[in-house]
Amino acid sequence: MWLLDKECRELLASRAWWVLLLVMGPLVGFAFISSVRSYAEASGLGGTAIGVGEAFSPLVGIWAPTFSACELAAVFLLPFVAIRVVAGDRQSGALKLELQHSMPAVARIATKGLVLLAGWVIASVPVIAAIILWRSYGGSTYVPELATVAIGHVINAALTIGIAAATASITEHPATAAILTLTATVGTWIVNFIAAVQGGLWERLASFTPTTMVSDFQHGLIRLDAVIAALTLTALGLGLAALWMRLGVPVRRRVAESIAVTVLALLVITVGTAATKSWDTSESRLNSFSKSDEKALRSIPGFLTIEVHLAPEDPRRVDLDRRVIAKLRRVRPDVNVRYQSATSIGLFEQTSAGYGEIWYDIDGKKTMSRAVTAESVLETLYSLADVSPETDSEEVFRGHPLMARPAKAATVFYVLWPALIVSAAIAVQGKR
Amino acid sequence: MEGLTKRYGAVSALSDVAFSIQPGEILGLIGPNGAGKTTLFECLAGVLPPTSGVIFIDGQPLTARSRTRTLFYLPDAIAPWPSQTVRWALDFTVGFFEGRRDLFADVIDGFQLAPMLTSPIGTLSKGQRKRVLLAIGLLTSQPMLLADEPFDGLDLRQTREVAAILQSHARAGRTLFLSIHQISDAARLCDRFVLLSGGEVCGTGTLDGLSAVARSKGAAASNLEEVFLALT
Repeated sequence: MWLLDKECRELLASRAWWVLLLVMGPLVGFAFISSVRSYAEASGLGGTAIGVGEAFSPLVGIWAPTFSACELAAVFLLPFVAIRVVAGDRQSGALKLELQHSMPAVARIATKGLVLLAGWVIASVPVIAAIILWRSYGGSTYVPELATVAIGHVINAALTIGIAAATASITEHPATAAILTLTATVGTWIVNFIAAVQGGLWERLASFTPTTMVSDFQHGLIRLDAVIAALTLTALGLGLAALWMRLGVPVRRRVAESIAVTVLALLVITVGTAATKSWDTSESRLNSFSKSDEKALRSIPGFLTIEVHLAPEDPRRVDLDRRVIAKLRRVRPDVNVRYQSATSIGLFEQTSAGYGEIWYDIDGKKTMSRAVTAESVLETLYSLADVSPETDSEEVFRGHPLMARPAKAATVFYVLWPALIVSAAIAVQGKR
Repeated sequence: MEGLTKRYGAVSALSDVAFSIQPGEILGLIGPNGAGKTTLFECLAGVLPPTSGVIFIDGQPLTARSRTRTLFYLPDAIAPWPSQTVRWALDFTVGFFEGRRDLFADVIDGFQLAPMLTSPIGTLSKGQRKRVLLAIGLLTSQPMLLADEPFDGLDLRQTREVAAILQSHARAGRTLFLSIHQISDAARLCDRFVLLSGGEVCGTGTLDGLSAVARSKGAAASNLEEVFLALT
């Protein structure tokens, strides 16, 4: 309890945390206000017909952009708070005193992690204000998808805390820790970029980056393999921080233990990649085919192989991946998708024979199509497998259009929140 | 301890250091700057891994558990928990380290901490911070206290007052191992001495014993300073 009290006090004394709190209001506010305006404009155009429902889902129209502010803060602000809390003890010399307590290093770092996560949740309060405002405008909220987005951002924050804790503990100086943390977090963007250009293994790697994970959560999709990877990496970061906190242990031993822990974590992640379970919590079933299509796809016997002759950056391949393959993988995790292309953009391959072809193979029965829409792909598959889906009795998601102005939002996020934080900071400092 | 050695690459900070500490005594670690005093303390306290050597407590090799139970190390030149108040730091010491609540008032009085109890540690002067650190050390319950430069930053009057407090704790049964570079301060306070120079022990014993050794080498040894110069 003493350590928990101490870590809470250290967080309250951290200027970096107060800056994070202060900035979160305007950051979330700007994202929320912009998205409410755009949503209202799109709603004003009037379509609530079947097929455009997705465009009027608050998940995509409001919560994904609003929560993006949290992603930005988790990458660029949270590391500094975490590094201050972890490295502060070493800098001040307090660690030399505290290490003389018999408490295990893991318990120490877990306490810090817990307090930092609580600090992050407090910093996310502006998002709750956004939800309340949205409801007050008459906006619709669907709790499972909203909870999924929130959980995704908490996991992302935990991952950032893990990385920052590890670098703060391993390096001698907080500035070095900050550089390394940003290298790790921003570095994953590069993986995403290379994946978009190169495809293949990079694409698989990119599916585990924080950006992709957050993007999935923001679309109401919970992927078990990504969650296992994120939680394992968080535990690895905290574990490394605990190992390197023990100043009295020889460096050689710490290095050996770090390697062992890292190998173990990679093993868990590798095994975790076999977990194909995922949950689509979006109200609009954004990440799924209709239930009757899913049933029909599951009933197709044999192995399904798809050979796509499209370059990684070809917009048709991007469409196919996002709108068809991703959904198909959820229903048929055994689907084998092979990509064939000589270049990354495909611009100079257009005239090559076979470019643009998509070959479907079910236990040796083959057919080819060039269409990339979900409807045509499903039709091709059904025809090849000689399967007919049942008539869809499922109610079609028609969206929740809302023509509302973001009233009072500017006052809440740009005036009240900063005033509240500044007052709280002054009150806390004064009390201490 | 036996054969305690600490190397940084090719540089040897401590070489084959060996000496013993008796319960209830004030042992002074004397040496010039760079002699290896802090390194020795940190190896003893377990915050720096020694390259080799064994430390015994009551004839048994020191383990992490027995170290935590037996000794507490007070580093020099630190400002722990800079944004927390002095009162909180003392409370934390008693609570977290299971220190001695019964000494709380005496320690605050002895080190004249009352006026600064509500001040954050980071805002204190060097001397004030040293007094707070010593208070933290004396509030811990381990039978042995290792203090690195306990008089650094204190003026003459404060040094004498602090020395008196340390002596009273030693009389009450606490073993004190103090690293002191001001030889006159050490001579006034300590029962025995370990002379350290260049990472090596140059002599151990009482002032009389060390003087005899120095005289046997043909040196004038009327006080600790002369003894130190003769033996190091």
